[in-house]
Amino acid sequence: MNAVANPLLSVDRLTIEIGGANVVDDISFTVAPGKVMALVGESGCGKSLTSYAMLGLLPPAAKRTGGRIMLESTDLGAMSERQLRKARGKDISIIFQEPSASLDPLTTVGSQIAEAYRVHQGASRTEAYEKARQMLVDVGIPDPTRRLDQYPFELSGGMCQRIMISIALINGPRLLVADEPTTALDVTIQAQILDLMKKLVSERGTAIVLITHDMGVVADIADEVAVMYAGRIAEIAPVHALFAAPKHPYTALLLASVPKLDHSPKADLATIEGTVPTPSEFGVGCRFADRCPLVTDKCRSEQPPLFQSGESGHRSACWHIDRMAEIRGVAA
Amino acid sequence: MSDAPKVLELRDVAVHFGGRGGFLSSPGPVVKAVNGVDLEIGRAETVALVGESGCGKSTLSNTIVGLQAPVSGSVRVSGEEVVGADKKKLNDIRRKVQMIFQDPALSLDPRSTVGATIAEPLIVRGVAKGRELKEHVATLLQQVGLRPEFADRYPHQFSGGQRQRVVIARALALEPDLVICDEPVSALDVSVRAQILNLLVALQKRTGVSYLFVSHDLGVVRHICDRVVVMYLGRFVEMADRDTFFANPKHPYTKALMSAVPEADPVVQRSKERIILGGELPSPANIPSGCAFHTRCPLATEICSKERPELTSRPDGARVACHHA
Ligand SMILES: Nc1ncnc2c1ncn2[C@@H]1O[C@H](COP(=O)(O)OP(=O)(O)OP(=O)(O)O)[C@@H](O)[C@H]1O
Ligand SMILES: Nc1ncnc2c1ncn2[C@@H]1O[C@H](COP(=O)(O)OP(=O)(O)OP(=O)(O)O)[C@@H](O)[C@H]1O
Ligand code: SF4
Ligand SMILES: [Mg+2]
Ligand SMILES: [Mg+2]
Repeated sequence: MNAVANPLLSVDRLTIEIGGANVVDDISFTVAPGKVMALVGESGCGKSLTSYAMLGLLPPAAKRTGGRIMLESTDLGAMSERQLRKARGKDISIIFQEPSASLDPLTTVGSQIAEAYRVHQGASRTEAYEKARQMLVDVGIPDPTRRLDQYPFELSGGMCQRIMISIALINGPRLLVADEPTTALDVTIQAQILDLMKKLVSERGTAIVLITHDMGVVADIADEVAVMYAGRIAEIAPVHALFAAPKHPYTALLLASVPKLDHSPKADLATIEGTVPTPSEFGVGCRFADRCPLVTDKCRSEQPPLFQSGESGHRSACWHIDRMAEIRGVAA
Repeated sequence: MSDAPKVLELRDVAVHFGGRGGFLSSPGPVVKAVNGVDLEIGRAETVALVGESGCGKSTLSNTIVGLQAPVSGSVRVSGEEVVGADKKKLNDIRRKVQMIFQDPALSLDPRSTVGATIAEPLIVRGVAKGRELKEHVATLLQQVGLRPEFADRYPHQFSGGQRQRVVIARALALEPDLVICDEPVSALDVSVRAQILNLLVALQKRTGVSYLFVSHDLGVVRHICDRVVVMYLGRFVEMADRDTFFANPKHPYTKALMSAVPEADPVVQRSKERIILGGELPSPANIPSGCAFHTRCPLATEICSKERPELTSRPDGARVACHHA
C-alpha cells in the first residue's frame, strides 16, 4: 500500500453510491500524523462526500457501499452515532465548505467556541472563554475580547470562517478535515490560516485532509496529493513528484492550464476539451477517456487500476503512463 | 489616432454610501467606498483591478456602468460623460460598456433559453429581428465556442463554463467598447478557467474590445492584463504596466499581496519570502488617517498616520502612493 508506516487515518477502498451510481468509487489513501493530504479535482468529483464519510456525516441520499475508514485501530464505520458524536470535534474535526450554515445566529461566537471546548473537556466557563479568546488570537482575529461577545451577523464572511476554524481546532483534534477552508477568504487572510495549519501540523502532529481546487494552496501546504476525477483517484503522489512529473493525463493538463510565471502573456493556455461525465454517464472504461488526448480502445473498454510509477508512493490510474511525454507536447 | 477618446476615463471619482439616515433613523456613518480614483483605459487594453474584499472594486465597476452615482468626479465612456447623463444618453452609453459577473448561474434567467437571453439586448435596442436576429444569435454562440443549436437549451442544461460563455456572448451582443469582468473565472474549475481566459483574449484580438478585469488571482492577472491597478480601502495605491508591476512591485501592500498568493509550484512557493500582514482590513466607514494602510504596514512611521501619500510617478513609469516606497 503506502509508504507511510503508522497512518493515523486509513481510507481503504471507500465506495459511496447515490442513485445507483458510484459517485465515490474505490478510494484508498492514508495520512500519517503531522502530514497533510490534499484532495483535489473538478467540482462534483466526490471530494466532499469522501470527507463527510470520515465523520459519518453522509447526506441521506448517499450510501457507503464498500470500504473501511480507520482512525488508528478504530473502525469509524463501526461506531455508533453516540460514539461518533463523541469523536467528532475531539479526535476528528471538520471545517465545512459552506460556513454560513454552520454557526448559530442567535448565540454569541464566544459561547459557541467555548461550548465546543466545554462539551469535550469539561472545563469551567471562565477557562473555556479564555481558551476561546486565545483561539481567536491564533486565527488572526484582532480585538478578540470584543469579538467574543458579538453575533455571527456582526462579523464579515471571512471572520465567520475563522470562527468555524476556531471551533474545529479548539480541542486539538488529531485529524482535521478541511473542505475548502480558505476559498472564501482574501489571500492575505488565507496565508494566515495556512500558516496556522502548518503550525498545528509541526507542533502538535495534527494530520490534515485538505480539500481544495487551488493548486497554489496544494503547492504551499500538502505533503501528498490525491487527484480525483469523476469519483475515482486518477493519481496520488508526494507533492513534489506530482508537480515535477505528473503521471496522469488529467493531472498534467490541469497543471498546464494554470498560468505560470514563465508563461508569455495572452498566449493560449492548455485546456481540457469537453466536460466531466455525470454519474449516469460513467462507462466501463477510464472515466477520463472522452477528454483524453492519449485515449485508445483499451481505455474505453477497461478501467485502469492504480499503477505504481516513478518514486515510491507515486501511483497513476492510466493505461498509458509511458506516453506522458506526448501530453507535455499538448500542454506546451 | 492618439487623440481618439479613451475607452474609459475616470477623473477624481468618489463614491460614498449612507450618512443621511432615513426619516426616523439616525444618520449612519459614511462608507467611503471609492475615493480620488483616476484611470484611463485605451482600446484593446486590459487593465486588472486587484485588492481585498470590500476595497471598492465592485462599487467602482457599478459606477462605470452607471448603476451607482458617484458623489463627485467624472466618468467618461468613449468620450461620453456618464455622470448626470439623462436616461436616453445613459442608455446609449450602456450599450458601449457591459459587465460579466463572477457567478454565471446568478446572471442567467433559468426560465429563458440561452438563445432568448442572448437575443434580449438585441431586441431591446432594435438591432435585429426575425431571421436576422436568429442568425446574429447563432454567430454570437459560435464566437464563444458554443454550437448554434444550443440556443434552444436552458441554463441548467449547461456546465458552469458553458454558462459563463453564454454570459459572455450576451455581453458581446451589442459590440461594446469595454467589458467589465468582475471575477469572471473564480467560480469555475481550473481547467474550464483556462478556456474562458483563452476566449477573452481571442475576442479581444478579433474585436479590439477593452477589459477592466477584477480579480484576486495574480497568476490570471499576469496572464491576461496589460496594466495592473491595486486598490486599498477605496484608493489606488499602485498602478503600473504588467512587466514593471510583476518584476518590481513597490507598495508594501502590493508586496504583501504578492507574497500571500500561493504559486502553483511547490519549489517556488516554499522558498518564497513571506510577508504576513497583521491586523484586519479596517472598515471603509472608519478609514485610518494619513495612509490608510499604516495600521498594517511593516514600513509605517509617524508621517504615515498623519499625511496621506499621493500617487507619484517613478522612473520606470509606475505610480505609487507611499511615503517610503
Ligand atoms: N445530497 C446529495 N444528493 C444527491 N447527489 C449528491 C449529493 N451530494 C453530492 N451529490 C453528488 O455526488 C457527487 C460528488 O459530490 P461532492 O459534493 O462530493 O463533490 P465535490 O468534489 O466536493 O465538488 P465541489 O468541488 O463542487 O465541492 C456529485 O455528482 C454530486 O452531484
Ligand atoms: N449599497 C451599499 N450600501 C452601503 N455600503 C455599501 C454598498 N455597496 C457596497 N458597500 C460597501 O462599500 C465597500 C466596498 O464594497 P465593494 O462591493 O465595492 O467591494 P469589493 O472590492 O467589490 O469586494 P469583494 O472583493 O468582496 O467583491 C464595502 O465596505 C461595502 O460594504
Ligand atoms: S487510461 Fe487512457 S483515457 Fe484514461 S487517462 Fe490514461 S490514456 Fe487517457
Ligand atoms: Mg465539495
Ligand atoms: Mg466585488
